[in-house]
Amino acid sequence: MACSRNVLFAVLGVVLMSPLPSWGVIALRHDLEIEGFLEAKNILRTPMFRDAKFIMQRNTAQIEGKYYFLREGRAFGRFSTGPLEEASLTVIGRGVYDSIYDIGEALSEKFTYEERLQRKFEYKLREIYTDMAIPPFALRIGRQQVVWGETDNFRALDVINPLDLRWHWSRESWEDIRIPLWMVRAIYDIGKFGPIEESFVETIWIPWDFQRTKITTDPRRPWAFIGDGLRTVANSAIIGGQLYDLRPQRIDRKPDRSLESSQAGIRFKGIWGGIDFSLNYLYLLSADTGVKVRRDLSRLDPTPTASGAAGTLYSVINTVNPRSHVMGIAANYSEERYTQAVFRVEAALTTGVPVRLAPGASRRLDPDNNSFDTARRSVLMLAFDRPTWIRPLNKIRTFFLTSQIFWRHYWDYSRLYRGTSSVVRAVVDGRVIPGRFISFSRDRVEQDEIVITFAASTSYGAGGLWQPLFVFAFDPLSTGAYNRLSLDYLFSNHIVLRLTQDFYWRVSGHDPGPWSIGDLFGRPRDSRHETIFSIIFQF
Amino acid sequence: MHRVLCRQWGCGVARRALLCLGVFLLLSVVRGGPVSADDQSYQALREWIEQYRTVPPQFTPGQVLTEKDRAVLEPFIPRSAWPYYFFDGMEMEIAPTGHYPPPPDWGKRVRTGYTLDENGVLVGFTGGGFPFPEIAPDDPQAAVKVIWNMLWRPGTQDFVMPMVAWSRGVNGQLDRVYQFVSISAEYARGDYCLVPGYEEVRGKSLMEFRSPRDMAGAKNLSVTYVDHYKEDSGWLYIPSQRKPRRTLASERTSEVMGMDFTREDQMGFGGKVYEHRWTYLGKKHVLATINVRDNPEAGGPHLWVPQKARWEVRECHVLLIDPKSETHPYSHKILFIDAETFWTHWMFAFDRREQLLRLSQHFLKYSESYAHETPQQAPYMVLDFSSNLGWNVFLHLGETDINAQKPHATFTHCYVAKKDLSSGRAKQFYSVRNMVSGRR
Repeated sequence: MACSRNVLFAVLGVVLMSPLPSWGVIALRHDLEIEGFLEAKNILRTPMFRDAKFIMQRNTAQIEGKYYFLREGRAFGRFSTGPLEEASLTVIGRGVYDSIYDIGEALSEKFTYEERLQRKFEYKLREIYTDMAIPPFALRIGRQQVVWGETDNFRALDVINPLDLRWHWSRESWEDIRIPLWMVRAIYDIGKFGPIEESFVETIWIPWDFQRTKITTDPRRPWAFIGDGLRTVANSAIIGGQLYDLRPQRIDRKPDRSLESSQAGIRFKGIWGGIDFSLNYLYLLSADTGVKVRRDLSRLDPTPTASGAAGTLYSVINTVNPRSHVMGIAANYSEERYTQAVFRVEAALTTGVPVRLAPGASRRLDPDNNSFDTARRSVLMLAFDRPTWIRPLNKIRTFFLTSQIFWRHYWDYSRLYRGTSSVVRAVVDGRVIPGRFISFSRDRVEQDEIVITFAASTSYGAGGLWQPLFVFAFDPLSTGAYNRLSLDYLFSNHIVLRLTQDFYWRVSGHDPGPWSIGDLFGRPRDSRHETIFSIIFQF
Repeated sequence: MHRVLCRQWGCGVARRALLCLGVFLLLSVVRGGPVSADDQSYQALREWIEQYRTVPPQFTPGQVLTEKDRAVLEPFIPRSAWPYYFFDGMEMEIAPTGHYPPPPDWGKRVRTGYTLDENGVLVGFTGGGFPFPEIAPDDPQAAVKVIWNMLWRPGTQDFVMPMVAWSRGVNGQLDRVYQFVSISAEYARGDYCLVPGYEEVRGKSLMEFRSPRDMAGAKNLSVTYVDHYKEDSGWLYIPSQRKPRRTLASERTSEVMGMDFTREDQMGFGGKVYEHRWTYLGKKHVLATINVRDNPEAGGPHLWVPQKARWEVRECHVLLIDPKSETHPYSHKILFIDAETFWTHWMFAFDRREQLLRLSQHFLKYSESYAHETPQQAPYMVLDFSSNLGWNVFLHLGETDINAQKPHATFTHCYVAKKDLSSGRAKQFYSVRNMVSGRR
């Protein structure tokens, strides 16, 4: 760790003391470039706009280097490389220190020293890959991110890299929360054939690096995913009207890092009649983790406990990631004449989606008696982008308006499909038992899930230095909603100040919905409204 | 090597006195009163064109003119630009008016059979020369013919062009500095296409930002078509999204990012001919930075205009462009396009109140002058400028774009090296395939 820190400071020193006049990419040599940023992000949570709580003080340093070791068929300026025309090496490293675990009382007292150490630091070589151009082939080999599809910030075809949702859910740029994977990406350029233009075939192969989407259910963490229940851990179970201590055990069945866990994908992309389209297929392991209840390994000990429980339930679960096929199409079209808008569409069918079954499911539905099933799920996304003049609000620049409607449908639907479990107070004979909490799965998955998003952005000021952003997401079924108001001030080429306010709200009811908006993160007394202030030094 | 033909202007004192008297009389007739130096309106510019249309220069090549020489410069600096171009400490080096021949095969590969349709749109032209080498002033279509010559002038593409743009407010307040690189290729070359099978493509360009960091790595692929009615195609790769995004071409009137120009004002006119009404306003001699020695330094109280640059008197076609759309931000636009080379020197755009909204002025350098004058290298990459020799074209060394109403300006330096990609390399490089990933 100390070594990593020294390297970081050394690189920063080189950057900050570099005599080269630069405000972005710095050319240390003609073939070596470096860029990056330092960011201090401060988040204040204001549940119901009362009792503000300082929940994050995340300091990030990111360094990105690019080394062009082969140009125009010559490596290191000396060796001829034949058909290999261009090659470069890219390295992206990130170091994080969240001081909230050291300052104040909100979090520092909730964790042990080791836990704080684990949570407050992150040093990662996030991406390291080499690009090679051997026309008509292009290769990128190494740890990287690959994004397919047309959707913004929803998972349909953009499922190659899992997400790290532990530290700020999906409210960060996905570039920063995608988990890069070791993979080979190859593109064969076809070009024009018949009526198809700009066509190419792209394949990816992830030989062994399977990673799950990461969420935390630790209720002490600010962005723990705790459903719509209490911010605590289940410690009890109620069986036959009696209270038992709960002793859960998780047996992880994460796929091994072996070739058997390979994932791959292929897509064909081209333009036909002005429509930019792609046909996609992915052979993956589901990054969403499923839970199998191992009733065969679980047992009920009827010995009364010192805590007053009737006994102890030793519950065993397996966490699994089933095989998944994803097939889909994506397309966009720039309609210049009547609507002056770019239309986007994406449709995907995914198999192997892990789902949880409610207790009591029939053997026909749950033949393994493990409360686990896999489903087929389709997604349809329709969207538009439009630069639009709203002259009463901005006389010199257009607003960029973008909107999406995202419809998800389960094909093997059962009314017993359940979403996130919640922790609730234990109630026996109508009496709340103090200090006792049980896990309860009351979030029924709906067969159709819909969310609509809208965003608008523009810039103000003579130099366009004030950049507001408005985001609105709405789930018409659960009536949950999310708003973001954000303003960037580009203080200089190096310094950006950003103020953001997130709101979670709903129109009616308490259905948490599937999209992590509205009531799920904005329920009474536990709203996650946030005020975020960031200072970014970029170079 | 280009040939420089010096014009011999009369220098006699008596002749100057007579000319001054003539100018004074002309002023009195046209304006009917004293001239307000700060009048930047459309009407004032139109009057200036008429006042000084036939006035010969009162300065000679080799002179370095300063603010004391304002009186002799006024007939050659368009009036709407006066508040910016005349300032204490200004210096303009006057060079002889040059002759800049086009590439040797220019015009020899033009495919015949092209026409102008009823909207003024050039149909069936595929490049290789000027579509209208001769412009008759009394031709009712003279204006659109000039603009088509400008749009198809030699040297518009086939280059690697790193750029630096300084975005400045009043008193030189530096808001942002942008660094970006544009690489482009001309596909339509008269009787052949750079990449066989892509005959419908006029050209392709790829532009990538390097600075500031919040824009670094953003790149834009743009495809223009021979068929003027077909909108351009564009894709934008943004590193934070890690995928290309289709862009809309038909909205051209918004300022680009934080800079002070619009896509429609690119090189004076980058829009669609059929969306405007065109009027030919005759010819006018103006001063232009047509063959600068080097990328000019920024001068003036706001650092918005070229200082200590080399200027030539150039004969220009003057075009009036009136947008047909009533929602267009401009009421009129006036262009000064070089009568020999068809490069735009000056552009003035007026808002709906007919007050100056934007002006731009371009800095050019003739490729063959690189034999004895080498301009600056970009601060972040080194180019082989020797490749510029032999092209016989102009290279765009920068421009200034002033928004008179904010007020604000973007002063740009371009560092151009000509580059002709092979057919195979162009096909690979200028492709959507190349947009699915970027520098990160």
